Amino acid sequence: MRRSLRLAAAATALGLTITACGSTAPEVSADGGGLGTAENPVSIRVIANDAFAKQWQDQLVPEFNKKYPNIKVSVDGVPYNDQLPKTMLELTGPTATYDVVLGDDSWIPQLAKTGGLMDLKADVTKWTDPGYDWADFNPSPLAAGEWEGKQYAVPVRSNLLLMLYNKTLYKKAGVKEPTAETTWEQYFKDAEKLVQDTDGDGKTDAWAVGTYFTKDPLTPTIWQTVLNSNGVALLDDNLKVAFDNETGVKALQTHVDLLKYAPPGASTYQFNEPLEAFRQGRTATMFMWGSVYKGSAVDKASTTLTPEEVGVTTLPAGSAGPGAHRGIWSAGVAKKSQHPAAAWTWLQWVTSKEGEKFTGSAFGTFPARNSSLDGTPPAEWAAPVYKALKDGYTVVDKNKMWRPRLPESDAVQQILALQTSRAMSGQATAEQAIDQAAKDVTELLKSKGYQQ
Amino acid sequence: MSVSTPARRTGAAKAPVRGSGNTPGRRFRLGEPGTAWLFMTPALVLLAGMLLYPIFYTLWVSFSDFDLALFQPTGWVGWKNYEAVLKDPGFLESLKVTGIYLVIALPLQMILGFAIAFLLNVEWRGRGVLRALFLIPMVVAPVVAGGIWRMLLDPLWGVVNYTLGLVGVGPVEWIGDPNLAMASVILIDTWRWTPFVVLIAAAGIMALPGDVYEAAKSDGATRWQTMWHVTLPLLVPVMAAAFVVRWLGAVKMFDIALAATKGGPGNATNVVNLYIYEKGFRGLEFGSASSMATLVLIITMILTYFLFRISRRLENRW
Repeated sequence: MRRSLRLAAAATALGLTITACGSTAPEVSADGGGLGTAENPVSIRVIANDAFAKQWQDQLVPEFNKKYPNIKVSVDGVPYNDQLPKTMLELTGPTATYDVVLGDDSWIPQLAKTGGLMDLKADVTKWTDPGYDWADFNPSPLAAGEWEGKQYAVPVRSNLLLMLYNKTLYKKAGVKEPTAETTWEQYFKDAEKLVQDTDGDGKTDAWAVGTYFTKDPLTPTIWQTVLNSNGVALLDDNLKVAFDNETGVKALQTHVDLLKYAPPGASTYQFNEPLEAFRQGRTATMFMWGSVYKGSAVDKASTTLTPEEVGVTTLPAGSAGPGAHRGIWSAGVAKKSQHPAAAWTWLQWVTSKEGEKFTGSAFGTFPARNSSLDGTPPAEWAAPVYKALKDGYTVVDKNKMWRPRLPESDAVQQILALQTSRAMSGQATAEQAIDQAAKDVTELLKSKGYQQ
Repeated sequence: MSVSTPARRTGAAKAPVRGSGNTPGRRFRLGEPGTAWLFMTPALVLLAGMLLYPIFYTLWVSFSDFDLALFQPTGWVGWKNYEAVLKDPGFLESLKVTGIYLVIALPLQMILGFAIAFLLNVEWRGRGVLRALFLIPMVVAPVVAGGIWRMLLDPLWGVVNYTLGLVGVGPVEWIGDPNLAMASVILIDTWRWTPFVVLIAAAGIMALPGDVYEAAKSDGATRWQTMWHVTLPLLVPVMAAAFVVRWLGAVKMFDIALAATKGGPGNATNVVNLYIYEKGFRGLEFGSASSMATLVLIITMILTYFLFRISRRLENRW
């Protein structure tokens, strides 16, 4: 009997200990944690991508603190490939470590589905500045933060897949500079000439293109853009695979064919490698996120090129028009945050006209607001870039050039990444890769309850 | 915990109980095993918490549906996850890739490790410096090693292809070619782990008994005969131990593949742990990932058991 009692006591103690280890988020005060005072400042944490987290911490936060000195902001950077899982774990955890979370374009549905994000047009209205102009946002970037009719995030770093080109290399090759009307056929004709020996030593030292080729979820965005510019979507309106056809095979083959005109070893290119090759003057064109323009053409510390040498336009055109692909970083407020008022205040400021002006001028970040796009650019170099961006927004809206708006979007991209990599390395033909990708995506969506 | 009474231990009945005062009658006393258990308890609790709990939790998750909103396993699904995993061609392919890596990398590292250890055992100038340099790869983080080697092997900017280019070879697509990508991963892993084998082998060689060599010499044994009939048999236990330790390390390799190739091109270097990691922490399919992890654990345990038996047999044979 005594033994049983002891056992029961031990089990109870263990249970209590385990229970004590887990904790649930405490209730948030009516003022949303307030905006802090000089004596009691409020601290919030932001989980962001490591590509720009340091910039934000070092320059954006001090700028914000000029207006809101009592909100202390810590920005933690996470590598792109780890950011989605880390944010998912964060939003599904019992308490909030981060008050503000950032998500790439295609992640928002998956993050929102956890129920861990606030609806910024409903849940935080009492802390919304009356001057915060929702209507001023360009609909294209704003749509990236929306899912099932709710606005879970606002655009903090707008981006589009665009074509940057080196005017000097085009001139040396005797090729006319590309425009929004340049077709893929014309582009490949030019590409042959753009693989060249620029210093006359008999060795090729400049190539036509650098872009994503490696096994990465962002790599398929290149042939997805080709697909979309030919008027075909990845999934149709009923969420069934729509790329398992000749247009799909042709789109992937176009991407594979680009490798012939890329530098040696380009099959391993992810984000940094094509950027480096372009900035060193080794590639004539680069299909890349437009936000790299400033670092590729303006910042002397990171590029050998000048704004006069670097042009920017949309990707070559297909039958439905030029190509672009939406890639908006949006940010939302965690539902379990103990300081939603401060978190939302920070986000409102970053995405305000004032905030966009600062990030545009300091980091070359692209704006999401029409007033910023149509107003005076933060620098001379930005004028042609903003034009390309506005054209791009129109193009992506017209041909729905984005990754699937599903909670399973990342899983779909993983499947496409694997099959794209097989096609790139010659392990499969474009047709085989597309066929396998279509089967795997269908299987995935079926397993998640979508009618296939 | 055992409880002893004066009736059971005569000596204890007569001796005063330390710290007990003068209270007569039955009292709790820890015997020797009890005391041992008492002292071992903190370690056991830690071990259970750090080792057994994760294993049982993984097992539990592998038989459940994992609810991401609650972030815990919910409904019992029986063998469903295991059935799905065994039908998953990606998982089966990753097992095959891991097998290829192990079959090539392990013997290579063992042969190189022992060969280098023999060279370092011979007296020559500067071997101390070389021995110290050999430790460097071991202290480099695997992710850093993968990243640095990726740069070294780059066809355009890398020093390896530059050097090969001087003799008219290349450029070679070390990471981009499916066959060479596996060779590159093995190369990086070998660069990193051979020094570990060298360390163990060098310690074993230095501990060899000198009198046996003297006997072999006086019997007129040649160097080759001494190596084949004396040194290698004496080193078998060391080799077996080094192999098992390296095997256990190699089975869980994924960081180098992640940093250098991300498992590509295609699935060419997608070792099973990388596949599980991607499934669990990127795909957030914790049920499937746990089933895979459990299967890999079972396979590893079975193979390790056989490796132990083989190594014991070899030790006895020699």
